[in-house]
Amino acid sequence: MTGFAAYLVFFLIVALTYSIVVMGLNLQWGYTGLFNAGVVGFFAIGAYGTAILIGPDRAHLIGGFGLPFPVGVLGGMALCAVAALIVGMATLRLREEYLAIATFGIAISIQLVALNFESLTGGAQGLVGLPRPLFGLFDSPASYNLFYLGVVAAVAGLVFLALETAVRSPWGRVLKAVREDETAARSLGKNPAAIRLEVFVLGCVLMGLAGGLYVGFIGYVSPLDFLPILTFQIWAMLIVGGSGNNLGAVTGAIGVWALWAMSGLAISRLLPVAYQSQGGAIQVILIGLLIVVTLIFRPRGLIGESDSVSKHTGAR
Amino acid sequence: MKTLLTSCFIGAGVLLAASSGASAQDCKISVGSVLSITGSMAAIGSAIGDAGKLAVDHFNAAGGVAGCQVNYILRDDQGSPNVGVDAAKTLVEIEKVPILLGAIQSGVSLPILTSVTVPAKVTQISCCSSAPSFTALAEEGGTGGYWFRTLPTDRPQAGVLATIAAERGYKKVAIIHVNSDYGVSLAARFRDDVQKLGAEVTDMVAYNQEQASYRAEVNAALQGEPDALFLVAFPADGATVAREWISFGGSRNLILSNALRADEFVESVGAQYLTEAYGIDNAQVEGESVEAFNASWKETKGSDPNGPGLHTMYDAAAVALLAMEQAGKPDGTAIRDNVRKVTGGEGEPVYPGVEGFKKAKALIAEGKPIRYVGATGPITFDANGDVTGPYLIYGVKDGELATLDRWDKARVGAALEKLQ
Repeated sequence: MTGFAAYLVFFLIVALTYSIVVMGLNLQWGYTGLFNAGVVGFFAIGAYGTAILIGPDRAHLIGGFGLPFPVGVLGGMALCAVAALIVGMATLRLREEYLAIATFGIAISIQLVALNFESLTGGAQGLVGLPRPLFGLFDSPASYNLFYLGVVAAVAGLVFLALETAVRSPWGRVLKAVREDETAARSLGKNPAAIRLEVFVLGCVLMGLAGGLYVGFIGYVSPLDFLPILTFQIWAMLIVGGSGNNLGAVTGAIGVWALWAMSGLAISRLLPVAYQSQGGAIQVILIGLLIVVTLIFRPRGLIGESDSVSKHTGAR
Repeated sequence: MKTLLTSCFIGAGVLLAASSGASAQDCKISVGSVLSITGSMAAIGSAIGDAGKLAVDHFNAAGGVAGCQVNYILRDDQGSPNVGVDAAKTLVEIEKVPILLGAIQSGVSLPILTSVTVPAKVTQISCCSSAPSFTALAEEGGTGGYWFRTLPTDRPQAGVLATIAAERGYKKVAIIHVNSDYGVSLAARFRDDVQKLGAEVTDMVAYNQEQASYRAEVNAALQGEPDALFLVAFPADGATVAREWISFGGSRNLILSNALRADEFVESVGAQYLTEAYGIDNAQVEGESVEAFNASWKETKGSDPNGPGLHTMYDAAAVALLAMEQAGKPDGTAIRDNVRKVTGGEGEPVYPGVEGFKKAKALIAEGKPIRYVGATGPITFDANGDVTGPYLIYGVKDGELATLDRWDKARVGAALEKLQ
């Protein structure tokens, strides 16, 4: 398996990894209205947590416990839960734009800690030589990638089903109630503060899970992976796909990442060689333009939130 | 959405079909390059891309490689590893490149190496990634020998700079460095070396890129009253730091990293403030090898090739193409095995430019050994794919960048031995 198929497998691994992050953000923003602008920070905690737990022992580093990959990912998720709990308790009383600024700052702080805490994260050098799970069992990189795609797709599928079940449960309806009118929700005896914290932690744990899967696939992690641009990419995926809809979140992740990645391929094919050094700028403009056009024609995203109307209201 | 997605794939498929149809007729070998055309390295990225293209153009004018014309494909990594890795994967899987040139930042080159080029057995040569983690990875066997870089690592650079600082009699040196893998490791090496030679390092201050002002960092570095400053930076930020350092009364004894050898830096700081400064860069030995590159750069671009990464990128592309010519086929593993046959050694020296490549092709056709002496002088790769080479010491004279001194390999080796 080579050529376009091999690339497609590679592409889907990355896109589905991002889809898990987008589903986490969708739970927070789409269903509960929490404006988390620090997505990349929790992705980073999951990635570094996993990398430190599974990495090989090195003299100059604190980490390198050489644990099995699933343990590493679970550890990264646990670390994310703790971090989200602390951040959540400190910031969740803030409303939308204030919460956005606070979480944005926290994500930048997390990236700077990764850049400067050399004995734990390897600093700017990053952590190299991380083992890729079960890599030795496959005879070719292509078949390994196919296996890893299976793993990521299974995890993304499980997350999708779990979230679909959760948001259709009574708990899920409370999320929307908190999003639409917190005072009304409180008057019905619900505790919005607790709900917001639960959702924030749960969403961030999903981001951490994706971070762990990313590390397992790339085998390397450095602070450069966690620049704020990634937060905006994730947000673009959610908004374009349709927030408040898990299928929209997955579609947005695949669609926007396809646009991001394949616009470069298209430009390198279409542009004369002499203008290649301008190709990068054209690509960035094209990405922005296509996202704007999509939103003009589909303001609620490609697959928007479906109306939730009580079955007791009858036909209209 | 589905339609958008489908049309994306179909679009890519059509493009694919179009190009494979063309390649059957006139035999093209693609060479891929992943560089930062936009993003934080954009200021230097597109010129580096042009340097790679120049080497490819020269080779095509000399008759192509392995019987085919070379098709240079430049992709942007936007300064992000995820975009860079994806671009590299398309180059390797769809464009079928046997060689990948790049990337600029180590944080982009390394994930490309581990997740794309090594698994696909594609030779990767970088012009610009200086992190020592590549050497560590190569020693563990993590690169499979597919990794090379044409710019020297920080170890010899730091050693030579520290030796000169000691010769000049600096006793207290402050360090301001960019907070990246490049800056941190070069600064740390320099600190260790200069301390061994008896000088004191008063402070080591990291700065983050693209800020409007670095007063806080400069003030911190001034605290220990140093008599010299080692500045590890890129031209734009470096100029901001140097201006503030001098205006706050810092010493004019500046020690500059290789990336600061740029006209832009000298102009924005002011040449009159840089008379005491010295810095290091890859030596470009005088004579045909360098002039061939400089002249053809000037011919196509209209300016002198002063800027980071231009010479090393040209050499990265040239070494890759010569190795492919020697191998006789566009195969990543064969290219890897032939890189050392066309560099180092005792073969007939060949220089950059159309004439040089014509000569190289003729010698290879006759089965004679060649030795590429490039835009950065003679190149020898060690077992980890690293180069050590001669260096030049630059400074500012009569308002312009000038070469103050040259260090050949023997002199560099002797200086490093003293530091062991």
